[in-house]
Amino acid sequence: MSENKKKWFSLNLNSTKKQNSGSCGCGKTSGDCGSHNPVVKEKPKDGFEQVFDVKMDRRSAFKQLTASLAIGAGAVSTSCSMLAGDETKEKAQIDWEEQFKGNYKLMTNEEKKDTVDRLVRSYQLRTGKAINISSENAKKDVLFGYAFNISKCQGYMDCVSACVEENNQDRNSEMQYIRIHEMKDGKGFNFNEADDNYYHEVPAEGHFYMGTQCFHCDNPPCVEVCPVNATWREEDGLVVIDYDWCVGCRYCMAACPYDGRRFNWSTPEVPEEEVNKNQHYLGNRMRKKGVMEKCTFCVQRSRAGQNPACVEACPTGARIFGNLLDPDSTLRWVLENKKVFRLKEDLGTEPKFWYFMD
Amino acid sequence: MNMRSNIYIVGYALFFVLVFFSCKDHGPEYHTIMDKIEAESKNYHGVSVSSENYLGDIKLMEITEGDDTFLIPERKSQIKSFNCTECHLRPLKTLKMDGTVKKAHWDITLVHANENTLNCITCHDGSSMDNLKSLTGNAIDFNNSYNLCSQCHTKQFDDWKGGAHGKRIGGWAPPRAAMTCVNCHDPHDPHIASKWPVRYNSQKAIERK
Amino acid sequence: METIRVFKSLVVDSFDAITQGTKIYHLWMAFLTFVMLVGMYCYSIQIEEGLSVTGMTDSVSWGLYISNFTFLVGVAAAAVMLVMPTYILKDIDFKQAVLIGEGLAVAALIMCLAFVVADMGGPSVLWHMLPIVGVFNFPNSMLTWDVIALNGYLIINITIPFYILFRHYQNKEAKSKVYLPGALLSVFWAVGIHLVTAFLYQGLQAKPFWNNALLGPRFLASAFAAGPALIILILAIIRTYTEFKIENKTIKKIALVVTVAAQINLIMLVSELFKEFYAPTHHSESAYYLFFGLHGKNALMPWIWTAIPLNVLATVLLTFHKLRNNFKVLFFACFILFVAIWIEKGFGLIVPGFIPGPYGKITEYTPTGIEIGVTIGIWAMGAFVFTILARTAIGIEIGKLRYKKK
Repeated sequence: MSENKKKWFSLNLNSTKKQNSGSCGCGKTSGDCGSHNPVVKEKPKDGFEQVFDVKMDRRSAFKQLTASLAIGAGAVSTSCSMLAGDETKEKAQIDWEEQFKGNYKLMTNEEKKDTVDRLVRSYQLRTGKAINISSENAKKDVLFGYAFNISKCQGYMDCVSACVEENNQDRNSEMQYIRIHEMKDGKGFNFNEADDNYYHEVPAEGHFYMGTQCFHCDNPPCVEVCPVNATWREEDGLVVIDYDWCVGCRYCMAACPYDGRRFNWSTPEVPEEEVNKNQHYLGNRMRKKGVMEKCTFCVQRSRAGQNPACVEACPTGARIFGNLLDPDSTLRWVLENKKVFRLKEDLGTEPKFWYFMD
Repeated sequence: MNMRSNIYIVGYALFFVLVFFSCKDHGPEYHTIMDKIEAESKNYHGVSVSSENYLGDIKLMEITEGDDTFLIPERKSQIKSFNCTECHLRPLKTLKMDGTVKKAHWDITLVHANENTLNCITCHDGSSMDNLKSLTGNAIDFNNSYNLCSQCHTKQFDDWKGGAHGKRIGGWAPPRAAMTCVNCHDPHDPHIASKWPVRYNSQKAIERK
Repeated sequence: METIRVFKSLVVDSFDAITQGTKIYHLWMAFLTFVMLVGMYCYSIQIEEGLSVTGMTDSVSWGLYISNFTFLVGVAAAAVMLVMPTYILKDIDFKQAVLIGEGLAVAALIMCLAFVVADMGGPSVLWHMLPIVGVFNFPNSMLTWDVIALNGYLIINITIPFYILFRHYQNKEAKSKVYLPGALLSVFWAVGIHLVTAFLYQGLQAKPFWNNALLGPRFLASAFAAGPALIILILAIIRTYTEFKIENKTIKKIALVVTVAAQINLIMLVSELFKEFYAPTHHSESAYYLFFGLHGKNALMPWIWTAIPLNVLATVLLTFHKLRNNFKVLFFACFILFVAIWIEKGFGLIVPGFIPGPYGKITEYTPTGIEIGVTIGIWAMGAFVFTILARTAIGIEIGKLRYKKK
């Protein structure tokens, strides 16, 4: 399967494993024993190699590496054990490989397919249900863009609802990628006084509505600041996240000027019958706690030629999605014939989400 | 001392070189998105993906208006009472209008503009009821009823042709298919009523209980 | 071989030094251990449940942990204010305090790294940040610069004092051609670490409260005020409780450093206030929220209105020679200055950056018990580390700990 990668990874692990295994005398693998004398005790491992190799505090590194090694060791021991059932072994094997795989952006197509297969199989082993995860790459000559007609939006929030259904977001925290802002006529785009949590008959007299979500900037500040390149802009313009690579530092969230990104503060839960089984690795597959997520312009749909869920759900046709590189697309017609603008243009982020009015 | 300092100097120099030449896999840099669009759509040859599969079961027909060619839902097969002449064998003029007979299509009230602007025969042709008629009396097919709306609503018509007005059918990729005016607006009462917003999570939570 | 034997002996001797002491010492260490255990328990809850047990939300995504991290990087950088006079200006008065300062830097850095790990959503995948096995987004991401800066500074501050102490332990002189380049490097590096940490925030065009040119210099000024202030307090404690001799003039000189830094800090504060309030724009909303509350939300007002007066009071007290040279006043001023800058750089900087949000929404932030638990646990860990280092260093410096050839 991924023989080479595994070997390469385990080589590295072995070296740190050897150095770490002897150091905690009290036998605890994670957490700390109060009697630890961190600085003095770690001096025996002096070797400047150990110090220069690991770019973090040794104690934390030790903690985290052993936590993950414990998972791995547990996985290995169950896979090697003769008593564990085949399924448990397989699950352990999958968990092990998933824990140590690399960044999706750097994977070859084969590696992408492998990880997708593992995830599908893992889900099947855990829940007995079948899903399909796509690892569809960006198509050539496609640059996705989006236009939003403010005059047409009536505040129905069909888009918000469709998005949540499509993208398997956490139900407990009511995570929504899209926000619809109700603004008062005559005050312009006054976000300060806008209400994005209204619940009354719409459209309300004297108000107008507009929606925000991730704008898939062409110069995304979130991509710039991610320390591990867990988020990047794909060839077709979509800004995506590799959920398994994200370390959860939330720097990207601070960097986004448009409230585009969401964080899983706890383990996301979706009731089984509401899970959307058509998934994409970079899109709506199940996330875990402690990682970022955001609107992906429904990558699982758009790369297959479908419109994102919000576009399809909007009953008024206020949302327009298309290929910016196609001179005949309706999106290009809008950009060329309507008076369009984008939010916070002065920040230089080049969002690919335009607003216009009739 | 000298060697040590030299090592540090070399170290710093290397560091700065690394910083300035560090791998930034960027590709061509564009100042704005419009520059990028302009540059990259020069060699546009069409996309490999199509929205054909997402058009659904709607019967579609192709129209060309001005520069735009796209698919719209075929209308005549969707109207229950079509063909009008199945019931109306004689022209409208000869029908009894003395108030004793219930007017046909009695449940249709016209709530569209006002009495000065629109009444039944502004659009419907009494002498050729299987067609609609334009302001100048030309016949307009029911399938192309948008030509009637465009007589007054010219701006919306232009927007619709371009794609800024109305609902797209299927996906973003060619072939383009869109709803026509009558697919969303009832021509006799085009105003869309207000409603309550959909609230996914709170609603689902209530349903689950 | 010889070195290893000496080293082993050093370990044993320092272990003895650390585990033996007066009752007060043992009480102190027991107290710290208890608080660390509390912190560890809280952290285990956080690991289990996820960061939802903290008060952070999508609106205010950085809170108590990052506030403390920011502040402590400054404290760590402040060691340079002792290193520079000692090794560069060859001022003999600072020589006693410099090892303490570097020990403080190590403890502060360990606390910083602990806070960052505590704040992360996925600490078990921290290896993703390593250069070859993972992806290290250098030089784009300022976080990667910070990782290099902080770890490099930690290495320098461990190795250089360790070398000096190791030599003194063997009753030998430390060779200046070995430690001087490192000391020189650490001077520039210290300024670097805090500037880089400031750039983390300064570079975000999405947060106008942080995106101004003064943030970096302001960080440096407040760091050089708060750090040496803490060092003065620590030296006072050391003077009282150990045989380590620290002259009055050393403390007075450090106090001068604190004074100048505090004054510059105040000037920069005035500059920032002027920019925000003279011609308020939409970008001044965060400052309004912090100082005056916005739309009825004013949770941070008591904090900032404690911090600023304390800061001003401390600076004024320190400015007057008569008051500054009165050690009772000095210690009081240093203490309130430390607290004031902790508030200012923590709650007064990180949290208001997120309020109001990108679309003007105001969501207030209150740390939960678990967050506070982990925070004080990490502070206790820092104090613990520092006590250990200081005890060993002092032992060696006063001649108690010496290598005895068997």
